Amino acid sequence: MALPPGLTESRFSEALEQFASAVGSDWVFSSDEDVALYRDSYSVYWGEEEERVASAAVAPANVEQVQQVVRIANRYGIPLYPISTGRNLTYGGSAPTLSGSVVVDLKRMNRILKVDDERNFALVEPGVSYYDLYNYIRDNDLRVMLDVPDPGWGSPIGNSLDHGCGYTLSPFRDHFGSHCGMEVVTPEGDVVRTGAGAVPGSDAWQDFHYGAGPTINGLFAQSNFGIVTKMGFWLMPLPEAFLIGTVTVPRYRDFAALIREASYLEDLYLIGMPWYTSPASGGAFIGTPPELAALMQDGWPSTGQLEEFVRAKGVPAWSLDLRFYGPEETVRANWAAARRRLAAAIPDAAFEDHDLVELPIPRDEETSFSHKPEVGIPALDAFMLVARNPGTTDDPPDGHADFFAMLPRTADAVHSAARVFAETYAEVGFPPLHHPFSIPVSYYSRCFIMGTVVPTWRDAERNARSRTLYERLVARCGENGWGCYRTAPAFQDLVVSQYSFNDNALLKFQEKLKDGIDPNGIISPGRYGIWPASMRNNRA
Amino acid sequence: MKRSLLLLVLLAASQGALAQTTPSAENGRTVFAKWCTPCHGADIVTGELWGRAPAPGTAALQLKYRGELPAVLEERTDLTGEFIETVVRGGLFGMPITRKTEISDSELEDIIAYLTKGDAG
Ligand SMILES: Cc1cc2nc3c(=O)[nH]c(=O)nc-3n(C[C@H](O)[C@H](O)[C@H](O)COP(=O)(O)OP(=O)(O)OC[C@H]3O[C@@H](n4cnc5c(N)ncnc54)[C@H](O)[C@@H]3O)c2cc1C
Ligand code: HEC
Repeated sequence: MALPPGLTESRFSEALEQFASAVGSDWVFSSDEDVALYRDSYSVYWGEEEERVASAAVAPANVEQVQQVVRIANRYGIPLYPISTGRNLTYGGSAPTLSGSVVVDLKRMNRILKVDDERNFALVEPGVSYYDLYNYIRDNDLRVMLDVPDPGWGSPIGNSLDHGCGYTLSPFRDHFGSHCGMEVVTPEGDVVRTGAGAVPGSDAWQDFHYGAGPTINGLFAQSNFGIVTKMGFWLMPLPEAFLIGTVTVPRYRDFAALIREASYLEDLYLIGMPWYTSPASGGAFIGTPPELAALMQDGWPSTGQLEEFVRAKGVPAWSLDLRFYGPEETVRANWAAARRRLAAAIPDAAFEDHDLVELPIPRDEETSFSHKPEVGIPALDAFMLVARNPGTTDDPPDGHADFFAMLPRTADAVHSAARVFAETYAEVGFPPLHHPFSIPVSYYSRCFIMGTVVPTWRDAERNARSRTLYERLVARCGENGWGCYRTAPAFQDLVVSQYSFNDNALLKFQEKLKDGIDPNGIISPGRYGIWPASMRNNRA
Repeated sequence: MKRSLLLLVLLAASQGALAQTTPSAENGRTVFAKWCTPCHGADIVTGELWGRAPAPGTAALQLKYRGELPAVLEERTDLTGEFIETVVRGGLFGMPITRKTEISDSELEDIIAYLTKGDAG
């Protein structure tokens, strides 16, 4: 059994009894078998000493119980690790950052407190999953649309507190950015409400996000300054229609103009998430087809070689799906305007119309609808990427660790990053997944992501190779000025160390806050590189 | 009846009075629909975006058994309670671990009753 650092077994047993008197003995999990359920299924250290494992888990049912748990933890010096739905797969699962922490599993706090389809918001507790909220909206015929990440079993609170993202219009894709109002149990057990929620009797908690004075909400995401127990989210009113329009462009060098036009449309809020692909490379998100690998054999191909490659292949170099939301009249008009601009900007651009989809999708058609997250339908389809698939039939991985580098929104940056990724894979001895036609992902509307999925294994040797690749990618991207948006605990110190401007001034500032707000270092020590004073030598 | 023996073992292993009740295949179907069908359903779930394919668990089992066993879990007649429990609580390749705050021990027994239909144990 793992123990919290510095605690004797008998002190820990005493603390567990106190937790049990706070939350009920059925909701304290301390047997080896039960604690193992909090392991990260996709751990990059599975079965090794460095694997982050809990010492126990407690599952409070309400805010008062969360406060009691926090007070007990302070008394005994026990690190806590709060999770909401605990499905943070590829970024650490439900396992703590510091081994020996007690996981505070908030899955039981699953009340949907309010969904308002005139003011367009939801107020939820941490255990409410996207599926729960979606079903509630549909069952009650509410006219709002969710923005969901690929896995529907996560939660608005858990996902947004790790800066997660989705697939619709830019203000909603940024899940933390679209929240309005929080309730937080502080490391010392107080309850704080932010924004208008701090005004006693306010009915505008989910309408006005700032309040007066500095906002502190950012402190609770990717960090360790409290346990969030309620959060409001602004929702998109249910659009009447959803329309996709596809534009393809023939030349490699057309990419820059394509991005410029898509950015224009997106920054005017006329389109949802722009979805780039490259027919020239077969259209997959990652993966290098043999003929491209051959072209890359003698180094990075020149622009001339790439133009010739596309011409010989006889397919468009790039393709972009534009997604429109709104009444039928406006989505059709916006698509017409987008076509006109793109045709003027890029010679030989070609356009394809798709059928207009009326919203909401009838419930018996949801499962087979192939653009679920784009219209806010929760699903688990994306596990296709991890599960045994045609590319991994006889040797499927046990999970993966995502690495997303954040780039400026330009074609040059995309091409440079693709090259850095490809070269890093080659250096570490992995077959290249990136190539000159690698495409960016635009979860966050103002920047691009160059991403990859690194396989993880329940095999120490193979995991060690994956870690080498991951760490090399972080370092190489850092050298190029590209930070990463999110990572598993095993890599958090490294990822944060790339954000080192002026001798790590940012981290030093965060540490000062940590010392003041959480003097005993109780909440999620080490999360995103923020260690309490007593543990700063823990940094990897 | 091998199955009743297994149930005894499961009952002995699980804590709490809840587990004393007989597992309900009917409730198992409901819990399965919520927690398992998104990955183990029979429908084609993805189209242009990820390629036309059934749910990820079903697609994986199609590749794993190459038609020797049904790819849809609910059509299997060879599943044992012990195997199902091991997979749900331990994970298997892309399928992650499920915690007790998500699916309780007694709900897992209901799923087992539903999937084994009393014809395997
Ligand atoms: C195939 C696949 C596809 C994915 N696609 C996406 C995607 O499209 N978009 C995306 O964003 N992610 C994606 N993910 C990553 C991840 O699965 C989701 O982000 C998921 O929503 C996170 O889990 P969760 O919502 O259960 O959050 P949790 O696991 O509950 O929380 C995440 C972390 O936030 C902190 N936290 C949670 N709750 C609290 C609280 N109440 N108080 C204080 N701190 C807290 C904790 O540190 C916790 O570990 C994908 C993963 C896979 C495997
Ligand atoms: C996120 C997707 C996902 C979910 C949800 C999921 N599974 Fe799975 N499951 C898989 C995948 C993928 C496999 C195939 C693993 C492999 O390739 O061997 C699998 C395999 C299995 C197997 C092993 C079958 C065999 O013969 O190898 C069982 C049993 C199983 N799942 C049961 C369940 C049950 C019961 C649930 C619900 C509680 C569930 N699964 C939920 C993805 C999922």
